[in-house]
Amino acid sequence: MGSSRVWNWLLLSALLVLLAFLPKLLSEFRLNLVITMLIYSLVAIGFNILLGQGGLLSFGHAAYFGIGAYSAMLVFKHFGFSLLPGILAGGICGALLGILFGIFLARLRGLPFALLSLAFNALVYAAAEKWRPLTGGEDGLAVRRPHLSIPGFGSINMFSTVNFYYFVLVIVALCVLYCWFFTKTPLGRLDTCMRENEERTGFIGYNTYATKLLVYVIAAFFCAIAGALSSSFQEFVSTAIINLDKSAEILILTFVGGRGIFWGPILGASFLTYLNDALSSLTQYWAIIQGAIFVVLVMYAPDGLAGLIVRTKNWLFDRVPIKKG
Amino acid sequence: MDWMALLPVQILHGLVYGMVLFLLASGLTLIFGMMDVLNFAHGAFYMLGAYFSYSVLVWTGQFWLSLILAPLGVGGLGVLVERIFLRKVHPYGHVPQLLLTFGIAYILEDVVKILWGTEPLKVKIPPLLSGSVSFLGGSYPTYRLFILLVSLSVFAFLFLMLFKTRIGIIVRAAVAKKEMVAALGFNVPVIFLLLFGVGSWLAGIAGVIGGPYLITHPGMGGSILVDLFVVVVVGGLGSIQGAMLAAILIGELQSFGVLFIPQFSLFLEFLLLAAVLILKPEGLLGEK
Repeated sequence: MGSSRVWNWLLLSALLVLLAFLPKLLSEFRLNLVITMLIYSLVAIGFNILLGQGGLLSFGHAAYFGIGAYSAMLVFKHFGFSLLPGILAGGICGALLGILFGIFLARLRGLPFALLSLAFNALVYAAAEKWRPLTGGEDGLAVRRPHLSIPGFGSINMFSTVNFYYFVLVIVALCVLYCWFFTKTPLGRLDTCMRENEERTGFIGYNTYATKLLVYVIAAFFCAIAGALSSSFQEFVSTAIINLDKSAEILILTFVGGRGIFWGPILGASFLTYLNDALSSLTQYWAIIQGAIFVVLVMYAPDGLAGLIVRTKNWLFDRVPIKKG
Repeated sequence: MDWMALLPVQILHGLVYGMVLFLLASGLTLIFGMMDVLNFAHGAFYMLGAYFSYSVLVWTGQFWLSLILAPLGVGGLGVLVERIFLRKVHPYGHVPQLLLTFGIAYILEDVVKILWGTEPLKVKIPPLLSGSVSFLGGSYPTYRLFILLVSLSVFAFLFLMLFKTRIGIIVRAAVAKKEMVAALGFNVPVIFLLLFGVGSWLAGIAGVIGGPYLITHPGMGGSILVDLFVVVVVGGLGSIQGAMLAAILIGELQSFGVLFIPQFSLFLEFLLLAAVLILKPEGLLGEK
C-alpha cells in the first residue's frame, strides 16, 4: 500500500514536470493539440462526476460546453472582459443553466434522465441557431482572445500560444484537482451512494433531490469552464459546439477512457483527441478506424483504457499465493 | 380563407411524414422500446436499406423485388450484429451498447461512402406509383399515399403479431421476465436475436420506402435518428400504438409548425419530448 502510494505521487510529479516543460519540447503546432487535449480532459472529468461517480447518463452536456463557449465570447465582445473573468463568466452561466435544467432532471434517473437532458440540449441548440443576432447561428462568432490582466502585476500577452498553454494548464489542473477532492467530500460520496441505490439513500435520510441537483450543477460548471477555454482558444464559436454530436463525443471520451477510475476520462480525452488528429491527416475514411476501435474497446475493455491499464498492472504485479507443490 | 383550402393537404403532409417516422421508429420500438438496447445504428440500418434498394433497382430495375430483397439484407446484417457483438455487451447496460452501435454506425456510414460515393442518389419511383391522384379537389402524389399504406400494413402486422399470436405472447413475456420464460423452456437468446433481426428488417423497409421520399445520402440515418428516439420515447417504450400516435403527432407538429411559426418549428418536437418526460415519464401510451 505504502509503496504504491509513493509510485502514484512519483508518476503524478513526473507528468506535471513533463507538462511544464512541454513548450520546450514541442513545436507550437503540436502544442495546439495538447491544449485541445487539456480542454477535453476537463470536460470529460466534469462529465464523469455524473456518469462514473453518479451513474447518471446525460446526453446533453454539449449544452453546457456550448453555453460556456458562447458566454465567454459574448462578454469578451460586448463588455470587454479580460481573459480570466470571461472564463469564470462562462462557468457561471453554465451553472445557472444547470440549475434551470437540473430542477427538472434531478427527479429522474436512467433513461428518462438521459432523454430529458437530450431534449434540453436540442432546445439550447435550436435557440442558438435561431437567435442569430446574438450567436451568429451556424456562421458563428469570431472574437480575438483578450489578454490576461492580473491586478498589481500587469497583463500577459495571450496571443502567444505558449502563454495560453500555461494559462489553460493552470486552469485545467486547478479544476481537476477540485474534482479529485470532490470525490472525497461527503457530497461526492453521496453521489456514489445514490449511484448504487437512490431509494435507500433517501430512506437513510439524505435529500436525494438536492444532492443530485447540486452534483449536476457542479458538473455543468466544469463543462462550461472547458467550453469557455475552448472558444477562447479557437477564437471562434459556432452552433456546432452545442449539437448532439458534441454531447455524444463527450460521452464517448469519458467512456473510452474509463468511467470507473478518476484519471480515466483524461486518458480517454487525450487518446481520442490525438487519434482524431492522426487519423484525419492520414486517411479520409478515419471514421471506419475509429468505429472499429470503439467496437473492439467495448467488446474487450468494457471498463475503458484506464481499466485495461489497471488490469494489466494487476496481472503483472499482483501477489499470487504460492502453491505448495 | 386561403389556408382553409390548404388545411386538408397540410394535414395529409403531416400524416405522411408521421407515417415515415413510424415506419422508421417501428423497428426501434422493438429494439429499444422492448429489448432495451440503445441502438444508435438503427439510422445506419435505415440508410443501408435505401442503398441496397438503389443497387437492386440499378441491377434489375424491379422496385418490388428491391422491397423484398433489401430489407432481408438489412435484417440479416442485424442478426449478425446482435449475435456477434450486442449479445456480449447486453448485460453491461446502456453506455457500452451506445458506444458499440455508434462504432458500427460509423463503420457502415464510411463503407457506404466508399461503395456508393458521397453524392446524394436519385432513386426512381416505379411508374405505377409515380403519378398523382385527385383528392378533395386537388391532386396528391400517389407515392405518398403508398407510404401511408405500407406504414399502416406494418402497424397492423406488428400489432397482430405481438398481441394476437402465440409468438407475440412469448416475445412479450421474454421481454418482461427473461429468466421465467427461459425456465419454461424457451430459447430466450434466440427470441432476442430474431426480435433484433425483425427490427433491422423494418429499418430496411423504411429505407426502401423512405429513400425516394427523403433523400438517399450517407448522412440520412444520422440526421433522423434523434427524431426516432423522440417518437419511441414520447409514445411510450415498447408501445406500438404509442409510437404510431407520437409519429403522427410529430408529423403534424412539423407540418403546421413550418406553416405557422417557422421561427420556432425547430423547438416544437423537443418541447413535446421535454413536456412528456416531465409530466408523464412513461410516455403517452406507455405502462408504468
